[in-house]
Amino acid sequence: MKRLLKLALSTAVVALGLAGTQATPAAAQDTIAQIKQKGTIVVGVKNDYKPWGFLDPSGKIVGLEIDLVDDVAKKLGVKAELVPVTAANRMEFLQQGRIDMIVATMGDTEARRKVVGMIEPNYYAGATNVLAPKSANLKNWSDLKGRKVCAVQGAYYNRRVSELYSPEMVVFPAVPDALNALQGGNCIAFLFDDTLIVSTLSGGDPKWANYEMPLVSEDPQLWAIGVRLADLNGPFGKLVKDMSVEWHKSGRLLELERKWGIKQSPYLIEMNKKLKGS
Amino acid sequence: MKPVANGSDLPVLLPIRLPALPASEFGDRLVAFFASRRAFVAIVVLAASSVAAAAAADAPMRPGIFETVLKWAPLIGTGFLFNLAISVASMMVGTLAGVLLGLGQISLLRPVRAISWVATQFFRNSPWLVLLFFAMFLLPFEIRIGGFVVSLPAWFKAIIGLALPVMANVAEIVRGGINSVPVGQWESAESLAFSRMQTLWRIILPQAVKRMIPPWMNLYAILTMATTLISVVGIQDAMTLTRGALVAEARTELYLPFYSLLLLYFFAYCYPIARLTQRLERRYAVKL
Repeated sequence: MKRLLKLALSTAVVALGLAGTQATPAAAQDTIAQIKQKGTIVVGVKNDYKPWGFLDPSGKIVGLEIDLVDDVAKKLGVKAELVPVTAANRMEFLQQGRIDMIVATMGDTEARRKVVGMIEPNYYAGATNVLAPKSANLKNWSDLKGRKVCAVQGAYYNRRVSELYSPEMVVFPAVPDALNALQGGNCIAFLFDDTLIVSTLSGGDPKWANYEMPLVSEDPQLWAIGVRLADLNGPFGKLVKDMSVEWHKSGRLLELERKWGIKQSPYLIEMNKKLKGS
Repeated sequence: MKPVANGSDLPVLLPIRLPALPASEFGDRLVAFFASRRAFVAIVVLAASSVAAAAAADAPMRPGIFETVLKWAPLIGTGFLFNLAISVASMMVGTLAGVLLGLGQISLLRPVRAISWVATQFFRNSPWLVLLFFAMFLLPFEIRIGGFVVSLPAWFKAIIGLALPVMANVAEIVRGGINSVPVGQWESAESLAFSRMQTLWRIILPQAVKRMIPPWMNLYAILTMATTLISVVGIQDAMTLTRGALVAEARTELYLPFYSLLLLYFFAYCYPIARLTQRLERRYAVKL
C-alpha cells in the first residue's frame, strides 16, 4: 500500500513536472510590430487600488494609471486591453507574454529589476505609512513592536517593516478586508502606502474621523511601468521611456494627480522642474 | 383482521404495512418543508436587515447603502454568471473523467483498478485550493500542437483545477452507486448469459444512476460555492468584483451589505438545488 502510494505520488509529480517544462516564454522581438498587428496593447493594471486603478459600476477599470495606459495606446494607434493583475501574478503574466506592459502601482526594487524591465523616469513615488485610530497613540515606528498590524498580501513593504519593527502582522487578501479589520479592532494599525492612506482620510467618510496617519512616511519607493527585459532597451521600451519623460515635462502627471484627487507629491513637482529645466 | 371499507364484508388479510407510515412520511415532509422555508426566509431577512441596518446608520449626504448595492448588483451579477459558467464546465469535465475513473475502480483488471483507486484517493483527499494552485502554475501558458500555438487562458486552467477534485468525488459516487445494486442482480444477469458489459450497461447502471443523481447534484452545489476559490489565483470572478466594488466605494460600512449580496446570489442558486436533491433522494431512497 505504502509503496503503491509512493509510486503514484512520484508519477504524479513527474507528470506535472513534464507539463511544467512545456511552458514556453513568448519571444519578445519586435513588440511594437506585434502590438500593432494585434491592434491592441494588453496591459496589466490594478482594479482594486483607488484612485490608481479601480472599477466603476459598469465594470470598466478607471484611474490615474488607466489614463497613462490610454496615452500609450493612443500614441501607438491601438486599443488598450486591460488585464487586472495582482502583486503576486503581474510579473509572471509579463514574462509569459500574456500582457505587454505592467502599469500596476509596482514598486521599482532591485530584486524586481532582475525580472522586469523598469521604465525610467519613474512615474510616481510612494512611501510606507500606517493608518491608525488616534486612540492608538502611535508616535514612532518602533511603537508597532509586538502589536497587531493589518497588511495586504504581496505588498513589498510588509517584509521590511516586519524585519525592522517586528509587529505581529495580520495579512489580508485585499485592501477592503484589511480596512474592515482595522475598523473592527482586529489590529491597531493598517500598513500601506501613504497615497492610499491620504486618500482614505481625505475621503470625508465619518468612519475615519478618528483615524490618522501618525508616523513619518518611510522607505520612499519609486513606482515604475514594467516591460519585458528584452524590450527595455528595444524600441518599445524606448517609446515608453520617452512618453514618461513627456508626462513629467508637460505636467501631465501633475494634472492627473489633481484629476484623481491625490495629494501633490513632492517627487512629481521636483521631476517636473528638473525635466522642464533641461 | 377486519372488514375492508370497500363494501366487502369478507375478512381480508391486509399486506404487512404499518398504516401510520405514509402519514408520518407526509408529516415529515411537511415539517422539513416548513423548516427549510423558514430557514430560507430567515436568511433572506438576515441579509436584508444587515443592508437596512447599515442604511439607517448612513450619513444623509451620501447615496444610501441600498442604492449603492443596487448600483453594483448588475456587475457583481455578471461576475456570478462567470462563476456559474466555470462551475458548469468543471462539473462536465469532472463528471466525464469521474465516470471513467469510477468504472475503472470496478474493473476486472487489477492494474486498472489499482491506478483508478490511487487517483481517486489522491484527488479526493487533497484540498481543493491546493489542486487549483497546481493546475494554475503547472499547466503551461500555451501549448504547441504541431504548428499551432494554443494558449491556455487562466479560466481554462481553473476549470481543470476544479474538475480534479470533482472527478475523484464523482468516481466515488459512481463506485458507490454501482455497489449499492444487490449482488443478486449481477448473478442473475450472469445466469441469463449477459456479458459483463451488457450487465453493466443494461442492468446495473440504469438502477444505479438514479441513486447517483442526488449526491451528484449535492457535489455540484458544493462545487458552485467553491468556485469563489478562483479569486485567490487572480481570476476576476464575483468575489474579486465585490472586492473591486468595495475599493471603488471606499466605505467600510458597505462591507457586510456587499458580501451579503454575493451570498444571496449563491444562495438563490444553490438552495433550489439542495431542495431538489432532497426530493430526489427521498424518491430514489432504497426501500428495504
